[in-house]
Amino acid sequence: SPTGDSWGIFTFLCAALCNLPALPALNCSEELGAGQSIQQTYDLTRYLEHQLRTLAGTYLNYLGPPFNEPDFNPPRLARAERVPSATVDLDLWRGLTDNARLAANYRAYSRLLCYLRVLDGQVGMAELRHRLAHFCASLQGLVLSIGGVMSSLGYPLPTGPAGTPAPPGAATAPNDFLKKMDDFWLLKELQTWLWRSAKDFNRLKKKVPPAVVTLRLEARGF
Amino acid sequence: HIQYERVGADVTMKCGSMDWDAAVTWTANGTDIDESHLNGSYLILKNVDLSQSGQYSCYEGSSWHLKYQTYLRVGTPPKEPVLMCRSNNYPKGFYCSWHLPTPTYIPNSFNISVIHGTKDMVCEKDAVPKNRCHIRYLQLFSTVKYKVTLTVTNALGKNFTSLTFDEFAIVKPDPPENVVAKPVPNNPRRLEVSWQNPSSWPDPESFPLKFFLRYRPLILDQWQHVELSDGTSHTITDAYAGKEYIIQVAAKDNDIGTWSDWSVAVHATPWTEEPKHLTTEAQITETTSASTSSFMAPPTTKICDKGAVVGSGAVAVCWTAGLVVAAYSVLFI
Repeated sequence: SPTGDSWGIFTFLCAALCNLPALPALNCSEELGAGQSIQQTYDLTRYLEHQLRTLAGTYLNYLGPPFNEPDFNPPRLARAERVPSATVDLDLWRGLTDNARLAANYRAYSRLLCYLRVLDGQVGMAELRHRLAHFCASLQGLVLSIGGVMSSLGYPLPTGPAGTPAPPGAATAPNDFLKKMDDFWLLKELQTWLWRSAKDFNRLKKKVPPAVVTLRLEARGF
Repeated sequence: HIQYERVGADVTMKCGSMDWDAAVTWTANGTDIDESHLNGSYLILKNVDLSQSGQYSCYEGSSWHLKYQTYLRVGTPPKEPVLMCRSNNYPKGFYCSWHLPTPTYIPNSFNISVIHGTKDMVCEKDAVPKNRCHIRYLQLFSTVKYKVTLTVTNALGKNFTSLTFDEFAIVKPDPPENVVAKPVPNNPRRLEVSWQNPSSWPDPESFPLKFFLRYRPLILDQWQHVELSDGTSHTITDAYAGKEYIIQVAAKDNDIGTWSDWSVAVHATPWTEEPKHLTTEAQITETTSASTSSFMAPPTTKICDKGAVVGSGAVAVCWTAGLVVAAYSVLFI
């Protein structure tokens, strides 16, 4: 069926886009030092958070009521569990190792980027599509930046998406309203992740001593 | 026995089981009530007001036996309560506090419920202050909103109000503590300000605060502002010499929530040199030329020291000061 074909195409695109190899921005971050790239990643999350505020407002208006109402507070449906959630137990969050903390961010944004790109492909408004595309590019930058920090600290990049990001085609929204709900929750989780990342990178800033980076550079004969 | 009635209501009190046509005497707080208020043995109070609250007793006419006694309390049903929730101890949790906009004059009971998605949470009431409860976060970075409903009930009615909010929206630290402002010896235009994180903020390491400093000389109305993303001290370098300053600091989580209220104001005056005694004419000439040369050789480096001042407001003042001083220098050449 035609619908099935287009979903198949989206799934393929998603898989292709999501498996982009990390570009060699790694060399740059090693020279700068982990501390500075953590700062840059932190700054990038703040930038994205500001961008998202306007973008989300515009997109929710595009979806129309009730999605653009300020007190819209829908129950979270089971289908929304596909989108990576920033919510975490307080003590668990505190106890995360640097590696786990970075990996969680890396995986989350990789998947969120995936979903956002599909969203972009479906939007009917040209101006909104353009803004979404710009945001996706910045978000891609964030994923690479996190990858850079991980590499400079000697951590392996999480291989492939954690599991496979459930391709959007796999659980197609049966109707227009539920599709809009999916979009609503995607934007909400993205916003919450950006707030969480600011805190994650604050913690990393304080914990990564410059000495660690120097040792690694020495080990590699720099 | 207590009887609650609304302000403005008409109240009819029966003398217990006495017949309507029995001879009785009513008293209000021990004072006899005039017969004009009686309808047989019933006491009629029309359009009651607050002053009519009190103890009402009914005595049998001749025997003066107490047949009925009640305590009348005149009041109003509760208006919609005012509810406020705030997290001044993020990420530990938040508190909610409430009050009635107008008094009811009779006892009220408050019930607060907190729902997070599908989960009911318990808001533990504080002993002090009353009308306040606190809740601990179980999860952080939640996308699901919290809904807090406060119901107030009294004998004459009930009312309620609700607040729905995101975890991040209610973050507002307490103001910085221990703000201290000191003059800097031998620097007539400097004031050193230092402060501490509010003690209620539990984890400034992972959740750092940024600060907003405002200062003005007492004689002016216009505040100067500096935003500081780091550190708990700052040196003001553009104070007017010899003028007393008022200084306040506010705090905010680096990334989320809103600014705290302003801290308690502190006052400070920059260091001034002890006045010299002019005894000879030679010394007078000396001091005059000295003051002229001070206009000609403006210590611009002192006014706008690198690294001492952060924030666009302060930079603007730096430039203005520089230009003014440059203008004066030209005048005196």
